[in-house]
Amino acid sequence: MTDFLAAAIRIATPLMLAALGGILSECAGVFAVGLEGMMLAGAFAAIIGAWLSGSDLIGVLFSMLGGAAIALAVAIVAVRYRADHMVTGLTANILALGLTSYLLRVAGGGRPIAIHLTPLDAWPIPGLADLPVLGPLLFMQPPLTYLALLGCVVLAIFLTRTQAGLTLRATGENPEAVFASGAEPLRVRMLAVLACGAIAGLGGAVLSLQQVGTFTDGMTGGRGYLVLAALIVGRWNPWGAAAACLVFGAAEAFELRLQSFGVPVGSYIVQMAPYLIALAVLAGLGRSSKLPAAIGRPIQTD
Amino acid sequence: MSEPTSSLPIAVPQQARRRGFRLQRGDRLVVRILLAVVLSMLCAGALIVISGHDPIAAFIALGTGALGSPHQFGAALNRTTPYLLAGGGVAMCFRAGIINIGAEGQIAVGGMGTAAVALAWPSDLSVVATVVALLGGAAVGAVWAGLATAIHLGRRVHEVLATLLLNFVALLLVQQVLAGPLGEFGAGFLQSPLLPRATWLPRIPQFSAHIGFLVAIVAAGALSFTLWRTRFGFALRVAGNSRPAATYAGFSLPLLTWSVMLLAGALAGLAGGIEVLGLHRRLIEGFSLGFGFKAVTVALLGALEPLAIVPAALFVGLLEAGSLSMQRQIGVPSALVVVIEGMTMLFVLAATVRRL
Repeated sequence: MTDFLAAAIRIATPLMLAALGGILSECAGVFAVGLEGMMLAGAFAAIIGAWLSGSDLIGVLFSMLGGAAIALAVAIVAVRYRADHMVTGLTANILALGLTSYLLRVAGGGRPIAIHLTPLDAWPIPGLADLPVLGPLLFMQPPLTYLALLGCVVLAIFLTRTQAGLTLRATGENPEAVFASGAEPLRVRMLAVLACGAIAGLGGAVLSLQQVGTFTDGMTGGRGYLVLAALIVGRWNPWGAAAACLVFGAAEAFELRLQSFGVPVGSYIVQMAPYLIALAVLAGLGRSSKLPAAIGRPIQTD
Repeated sequence: MSEPTSSLPIAVPQQARRRGFRLQRGDRLVVRILLAVVLSMLCAGALIVISGHDPIAAFIALGTGALGSPHQFGAALNRTTPYLLAGGGVAMCFRAGIINIGAEGQIAVGGMGTAAVALAWPSDLSVVATVVALLGGAAVGAVWAGLATAIHLGRRVHEVLATLLLNFVALLLVQQVLAGPLGEFGAGFLQSPLLPRATWLPRIPQFSAHIGFLVAIVAAGALSFTLWRTRFGFALRVAGNSRPAATYAGFSLPLLTWSVMLLAGALAGLAGGIEVLGLHRRLIEGFSLGFGFKAVTVALLGALEPLAIVPAALFVGLLEAGSLSMQRQIGVPSALVVVIEGMTMLFVLAATVRRL
């Protein structure tokens, strides 16, 4: 059971990081449909960076740049030029898919370049890792998983206890009031989307650097969209969203278990579980989920 | 920019403006869209240079690959067909302010429906068998869109999420069906047996195109008529501009949403069916991968105007058909086409969306 939960946390890590980014973006009033592309670009940049430099740390930094690059496109088109957030995000996802596949082949001289790195090892934290149940769950994880857990704490404090966090949330609720108070809602949104991209890029780095050590076309496989559902279910609260991501992680861990036991359920049906769970939970929430009031609404600047 | 709602004797709440998808109208729209295409091609040229190849030679290879012979042009028309059909449906939804991203899944299950009917239908009468199989696909596509609509309207789940998540379920469902009842035993990969010859779409002689393209053109004409000359089309346009105005005018928003979603689902399902009967002649895993986004691309590139979607879909279809020759002859990876599509969309979005 502890093994299962530890696996669920590991599998949920990329989702949790992407969710942290998504919270920033959506609380500032920009739908985070581009998370999928930001993660994918992050996953790609992480592998390329780590391969070029030979350092995993550089790979992790690259992943933030990769995610932010896609986020920049979203910020310019959706925030600056006030295009529809949903369609812009979707477009950014396709752009990321195209660019990563294209560059992967350019790097390999026509064929997808094969890079195989050693996935990041677990970093047991001395002392704490020996705790009975919590040890294996929380203190024997790979490094980026700690980062995700730490990120939840930091984001929760940022959103509720700092001036910048309050301005960010106000921009998502009432950008005109933020403008009247002397801040610049447009800039807040742009920065929020860029930060979202960098953090979601980290989520991508988890997929490529930490989990498998390589990059394949479209390896995010819809995780960004699951995170969108997790944001709503978690009510844009870091802990709530992380919990929702954990449920998806658990579903995938459970699926892997089932397959290894050879349970005769159609494997494709089992793979539907996260999407069906997401739909069911969203449908269950129904009207009760309340979006930030000004989400998706462009900011009037003149 | 005039707000179409301002002359109505009702206050339009802030809420109303949050929804809906609006494009700038007017004669400069075409110029802006063409400019977006040119800009994205320039970006693509830069990317070709990065790959160490000559962009001019690559674009020439792309052009001859798509237009070099009747055979190649026919293949490009075949590529265009599903985008045109599904894109028309998506455009109608967007006109009504409903952002339907579900074409991908609807095409997939539509293909599945057509294949299932074609395998089960015992008719030797070619026309009947083909038509019934295509109708089956359209019906299944509509059911899938209806599922998303029910979740959206019934439980207030945003239509983008409902349609997106159902796409993944649809793709897995098709895989499951191919691994089970519809699969070909011992094929080694996920595909159905070859469909009965009677159900195949006829091909245009001397020209590898099947007649699906003609069906898609007729559909585009019908959609244009519906949008501009019928009460339903008028209601769609009003609802897309202002939901309160549509309610004030006595149009039922749920009914509109249901009808336009079912219409789009049926068109996407038909696109899947035509792809199966016309091109592959069997159901293949992942035959519709990426089609859903391309439907959105051509809808916006065509400014949500059913007839203008024809050249938009041709643009995408020709690009894709030519990209394989470009890869073969010059060595530029064909994934470049996906980048061009994404870039074009970003530029179109930045340049044409109406300032609110």
